[in-house]
Amino acid sequence: MTDDRATAGSGPADEWQDGAPYRSRRRTLVRVAVPLAVTAAIAAGVGLVPALADSSPPELPALTAEQVVAKVLGSQAETLTGTVSLSADLGVPSQLLGAAAGGLAGGAPGGGSGGKSSGADPTAKLTGLLGGEHRLRVAVDGPDRQRIGLLEQLAGYEMIRNGDQVWTWDSSSNEAVHLTGARPDAKADGHPGKGPLTGVPTTPQEAAQQFLGASAGTTTVTVDGTVNVAGQKAYRLSVKPTGSGSTIGEVRIAVAADNGVPLSVVVKGTDGSTVLDVHFTDVSFAAPSAKTFEFTVPKGAKVTERKADPAPHAEISPEEAKAATEGLNVIGEGWTAVLSAKLPGNDVFVPAEGKGPRGKGGHGPGGGGKLENPLALVKSLGKPVAGGSLISTKVLNVLVTDDGRVFAGAVTLPVLQSAAGVK
Amino acid sequence: MSRAEAVPAEAVAATAVTTAAAAARGRRPQTAAGFLALFRNELVLTFRRLRTIVLLGILALLPVLIGVVVRIETDGPRGGEGPAFIAQVTQNGLFLVFTALAVALPVFLPMTVGVVAGDSVAGEAATGTLRYLLVAPAGRTRLLAAKFTAGLVFCLAATVTVATAAVIAGAALFPVGDVTLISGETIGLGSALLRAVLVAAVVAASLAGLVAIGLFISTLTGSGIAAMAATVGLVITVQILDSFPQLHAIQPFLFTHHWLTFGDLLRAPMEWDGVLKNLGLQAAYVAVFGSASWSRFTARDITA
Repeated sequence: MTDDRATAGSGPADEWQDGAPYRSRRRTLVRVAVPLAVTAAIAAGVGLVPALADSSPPELPALTAEQVVAKVLGSQAETLTGTVSLSADLGVPSQLLGAAAGGLAGGAPGGGSGGKSSGADPTAKLTGLLGGEHRLRVAVDGPDRQRIGLLEQLAGYEMIRNGDQVWTWDSSSNEAVHLTGARPDAKADGHPGKGPLTGVPTTPQEAAQQFLGASAGTTTVTVDGTVNVAGQKAYRLSVKPTGSGSTIGEVRIAVAADNGVPLSVVVKGTDGSTVLDVHFTDVSFAAPSAKTFEFTVPKGAKVTERKADPAPHAEISPEEAKAATEGLNVIGEGWTAVLSAKLPGNDVFVPAEGKGPRGKGGHGPGGGGKLENPLALVKSLGKPVAGGSLISTKVLNVLVTDDGRVFAGAVTLPVLQSAAGVK
Repeated sequence: MSRAEAVPAEAVAATAVTTAAAAARGRRPQTAAGFLALFRNELVLTFRRLRTIVLLGILALLPVLIGVVVRIETDGPRGGEGPAFIAQVTQNGLFLVFTALAVALPVFLPMTVGVVAGDSVAGEAATGTLRYLLVAPAGRTRLLAAKFTAGLVFCLAATVTVATAAVIAGAALFPVGDVTLISGETIGLGSALLRAVLVAAVVAASLAGLVAIGLFISTLTGSGIAAMAATVGLVITVQILDSFPQLHAIQPFLFTHHWLTFGDLLRAPMEWDGVLKNLGLQAAYVAVFGSASWSRFTARDITA
């Protein structure tokens, strides 16, 4: 309304100016200036507000890198709720992620199982986290009770561990997996209180401990100032591999000054691009309510019962399990560790695909048909190098040798080749 | 209409405009009743058109169609494929509201809104009624505000039509009861209905930016069809841009980018982050394109 009055007010003055045109230069200027000013104000607001919020790193007493690392590893914080933002850009096609998930989980026939297999299957769901951006809701109450909710667009995926019961539920397919007999202490070796629910680091803690715990000796750790993360004051650790050969350039970890909980982990490649960024967008260290960890099966949900026994893939044919576990080993350690495996031949792969425990009825055979000759398929993806073919991504390099062995790691090609014994 | 075109008609335009301006000066203390009269006029104009009624009718048919298809195909969806919430619809008819909104929001709703908003000024210009409107002692800004408000009301009406038809079809075709949210919690039917109302309101609000864009395009041209086509085309173009990973940097600023965040309201506790981003973005689009259409419309020569 005020606009109207302003124009009406300024109008007559211009209008009657000895027959001057209705639209004088001043009016035109105002006309153009108002939308431009509005646009500029909004652009400034969008640009400046986050910048202002992020500025001024908090003042914290100076600590050495050792003290901060000790803080992380000795963190007593057992309870936590928060929202995690995870963005990964490994440069890996999602189909490959699915296949890798199957392989790493112990030889489950994961080829082509990407996101289309049983919706509630945690392995496929979590490897999906390694590509793109995701938000997760995390609640932790000691080693026995965790809940991770994956916030998808118009859908949700929940993983709840309460003691030896693990539930996963996928809202888009309304399918649930009930895992009984899970041992909460099984994975908690060395890191009590944060036994990860999964192999994929879904929280900054898990990611930070993978980098700080596993790679001592081959690593330089320095304190690189302080930052604010999710409203918490934090130290920023900069972790760099000492030797060459790794494709990871630097890992930055923000550690909460109060209790040593890692609040963010940023992994940068050797070229300086961000490969993985996982951080809390909000976090609270109060105990979540007990109700959080209770799960009632939603009406009409299809529940798959599973036993988390020591041999979790009992349904898989013996020879396949043997091939998968015996073939898999780790060469080297720390940053330049290389995972090697033998690619299964057709005779094992194709039938297994059809009756795979996760294969959906009509889907499995279709997927198997495509993989008649896995070696040829994999090689067609890569580019030929000495000794085999290389599938190269931002961080992960995979060398498939001509005799069907696979070497993978976050390392450069020469390291892979020397691990494979070529050259 | 281009400036060059307008030049020969300048004399005519100047007379018309002078009359309007003089008339506006005559009734200066603008009253709320005066504004409301214009606004009511716009609403009547919008909702009494056969075109609007047909659009709303099509929107009402959409949930019924989805419901019937899901009902006939009783096997249920395979492994989470198909439109959002389809797995829940068979368990609870109320979810048909969310499915219908999720299906309608990317194409149907913007199309109808584009038709109404795009035609608002350009259509009047094309039929030659715009100059008579401006002769009335209302002022161009007020007319524009009335057009914009009518567009917003149409957004709400369209969303409510979809939601209401979905509730009725859902209740008729599927069982209705306690609702399982997408984070796994179960809430009662009453609070679920409240959430449905909230979701419908958010969906209606997320079309506000498009109304402003449509209005701006409408002030640029004298052809109603051109304005409608441009608005609907823009919606489609923007959604295509939104799907390219390479354009990652600009995507958060596309007005369609946060549209589907309304699903976050179906978690417990509700996740407001994306919804607030969406509403903020819509407000920014309304401010930018609202002021742009004001700038254009108040300075424009009305020759038709």
